Amino acid sequence: MTAHGDTHEHHEPGLQHQFEDMNQQEESVSIAMWAFLAQEIMFFGGLFTAYLVFRWRFPMAFAAGSNHLDPFWGGLNTLVLIVSSLTMALTVYYAQKGNRTLQVAMIVLTMLFGSVFLGVKAIEYTDKYNHGLVPVTGWNKKVKEDTSAPHVTEQDCTQVGHGDGDDHYVNPKGEFQWKDCSLVKLAQEKNYLTADEKIGYFTNGEIDADKFRDKVRLFYFIYFVMTGLHALHMIIGLGVMLWLLWKAWIGTYGPKYYAPVEISGLYWHFVDIVWIFLFPLLYLLGRHFLH
Amino acid sequence: MQDVSAISGNSIPADEPKLNYINNGHTLKSWLLTKDHKRIALMYLLSVSAFFLMGGIYAAFIRLELLTPASDLLETATYNKVFTQHGILMVFFFLIPAIPAILGNFLLPLMIGAKDLALPRINLLSLYIYWIGGIITLWALMKGGVDTGWTFYTPYSTTFSNSYVMAVGIGVFINGFSSILTGLNFIVSIHTMRAPGMTWFRLPLFVWAHYATSLVMILGTPVVAITILLVAIERFARIGIFDPAIGGDPILFQHLFWFYSHPAVYIMILPGMGVISEVIAGFSRKRIFGYEFVAFSSIAIAVFGFLVWGHHMFVSGQSVFAGLVFSFLTMVVAVPSAIKTFNWVATMYKGSISYDTPMLYAIGFLGLFLVGGLTGLFLGSIGLTVHLTDTYFIVAHFHYVMVGGQVIAYLAGIHYWWPKMTGRMYSEFWGKVSAMLVFVGFNLTFFPQFILGYMGMPRRYASYPEELQVLNIFSTAGASVLGIGLLMPVVYLIHSLFYGKKAADNPWMHPGLEWRTSSPPPTENFKEMPVVTWEAYDFGEESGLDIEEARRREAVTV
Ligand code: HEM
Ligand SMILES: [Cu+2]
Repeated sequence: MTAHGDTHEHHEPGLQHQFEDMNQQEESVSIAMWAFLAQEIMFFGGLFTAYLVFRWRFPMAFAAGSNHLDPFWGGLNTLVLIVSSLTMALTVYYAQKGNRTLQVAMIVLTMLFGSVFLGVKAIEYTDKYNHGLVPVTGWNKKVKEDTSAPHVTEQDCTQVGHGDGDDHYVNPKGEFQWKDCSLVKLAQEKNYLTADEKIGYFTNGEIDADKFRDKVRLFYFIYFVMTGLHALHMIIGLGVMLWLLWKAWIGTYGPKYYAPVEISGLYWHFVDIVWIFLFPLLYLLGRHFLH
Repeated sequence: MQDVSAISGNSIPADEPKLNYINNGHTLKSWLLTKDHKRIALMYLLSVSAFFLMGGIYAAFIRLELLTPASDLLETATYNKVFTQHGILMVFFFLIPAIPAILGNFLLPLMIGAKDLALPRINLLSLYIYWIGGIITLWALMKGGVDTGWTFYTPYSTTFSNSYVMAVGIGVFINGFSSILTGLNFIVSIHTMRAPGMTWFRLPLFVWAHYATSLVMILGTPVVAITILLVAIERFARIGIFDPAIGGDPILFQHLFWFYSHPAVYIMILPGMGVISEVIAGFSRKRIFGYEFVAFSSIAIAVFGFLVWGHHMFVSGQSVFAGLVFSFLTMVVAVPSAIKTFNWVATMYKGSISYDTPMLYAIGFLGLFLVGGLTGLFLGSIGLTVHLTDTYFIVAHFHYVMVGGQVIAYLAGIHYWWPKMTGRMYSEFWGKVSAMLVFVGFNLTFFPQFILGYMGMPRRYASYPEELQVLNIFSTAGASVLGIGLLMPVVYLIHSLFYGKKAADNPWMHPGLEWRTSSPPPTENFKEMPVVTWEAYDFGEESGLDIEEARRREAVTV
């Protein structure tokens, strides 16, 4: 609790009218950010729940979908974000020290890493688009370009290997593309299938490529919603950093006043941490099925 | 103790108009860009009332349709839209914001002795978000509306409904952030903005109740937000996350929805409980019985409220074991509500009770909330609920808690603080008449519905068997009385703005901080930073609250 006691006017930079002193203002803003982050956890929590529920039911579809994400790009992005967390932490440090030059430099670096992250995401999204893996009807390069393609694959879907992008299978519904059911076959042989999978992938005891595809599509749906919302948070983060950059440039922050830097940092770290969970869940789980 | 004359309410307001928050700036801009919590509260009052009126019109159509057994007034498809839109407007745009965003916004800073909420700009932002969400929803209703029920159950909402589910979903999604921001602001303010001497256990219980509400708002709302967003995306991209036909799971939707919406029913009652604590203590002129119990029961409700969502899903195919656990936890969550009710009654015991309008409403609340809560227990017991679920019994249950509880508490609060908000007194006579009419009309409307439900009349149908007509006629007749009772305050409160007697600073002679500033308060709330040296609900005569003495003085000066 903060004392209101003294009544004389303050002229500290950035003190807003409703507060009595800087202490009270900083405490308020910091509690606000923590409460906001609690809210964010619940927001992403709903999505993580959906992910867990469906991964629990359809592990093979999720493994198959996951194996088509590129862990190189995902790993690179993880690295980039971890480094950006470091530069963010250094931003706060230099703000406290009142070192304007290094503070500005660190903000620029943080923004740079943030942009690299978004750039890599853009590359990945484009790649998914080119391979017909965007789970939205009509958002599919292959179907748009290749209208003459055969409407059903000639091959048995369990015979098709992993990851070859040049196959000509076209989803008869014209949307999400998927033809590789080899993992189902494998799981069936080794008796891995969950109860839901035994119903979810088969028609009359036969592997049903369309039914399996719908489950993989679900994985990509969750992938796009989660990473998309995460990217949106990154973009907002970059906006915040731009504002910080300007404020730091005109020399607002010093040992006495650096709360905005600190709470922007909290936000930035939070967005990083979300990615730290997304990366293994989306890219890594299920990779051992590749071998 | 405080300087007696400073808080004595009966100084006659000076003749020349003082600068207060209402007349401090007259331009439209001074309202639309204000950061003053009191002005924001008034703008909320207007907007929320508009939504209440719209929801009420839909309700009128529902009751008219149900006057006769056949579905004659409305087509069945239209009827679906009417009850859906009634529910959506009432729940998301009236009931959730009503007390927190209007009374909470206005009073919280006054009660804790602050100049404003901690984040005034965020507060204004929340109002704009509310407007944007509201406008999108209204636009969707104009275009054709929704017919999924306020619960948006899948797969109906994802696959089979050809109405504007996505637009309304987005409206509700956006609106959710308005209550998240309000909750955030309250939590921060209660932590950091309390005046010197205003310790946690000197806070009025209204503030405790809002703290608990805010917890639910920031932890629950994001979950329903993301759920409704998923429904919208699912409709757009046709992906089976909730639709079983393409591999989705409709029960997952229900889990996510009720994970928020059960706690949300506490967003819709906790603030009301806060109001009732103030009114009952005030008009019994007694310190509330068991202050700590009432305070912590609010927190307990907020916490346990997150653990009982499964009681909405007893018949949806969750496992028997889950059903048992949820049934047990439902009984547990009723305990804190019962504690509060006992404490209110104990507060009145040997109190010096006066039956002013707010108190009449509050006493009505006690009776109605009791019935609502107890029937909740019926519904929470795993055997009985199978018979009662999706019947009019449910409809009666939640109207007893939502209307009998929250709406009546809201009215109690509006009447109680009206003099402070506007500086005017309303007609006590008409106030009492409306309180009585609302109570009688309400019971006449909803009590028959318990019986109807028990007899098996399902909810959400436009027609019903002939033998149920008598009770339905009662219900519709009651609704008319209730409607008149609810419209009356609109008339006499607006009348009071122009012709009402000027209100004293402390018309009820109550000790809360909000009564120790002028009516209406100045923009900065208090001339000087208050220093709190007394306990909450300190009606001691040495605080200058000797009401007999005050009346004598008033008689002399008038
Ligand atoms: C005293 C504690 C309460 C208990 C034990 C309780 C219990 C229940 C139960 C078990 C149901 C589900 C019935 C079913 O679907 O079979 C239910 C429904 C409902 N309750 Fe309560 N309740 C309580 C208080 C409240 C309060 C305070 C509110 C709101 C202010 C509320 C609003 C609702 C609503 C809106 C529904 C129906 C939702 C729907 O299906 O549309 N309840 N309640
Ligand atoms: Cu519930």
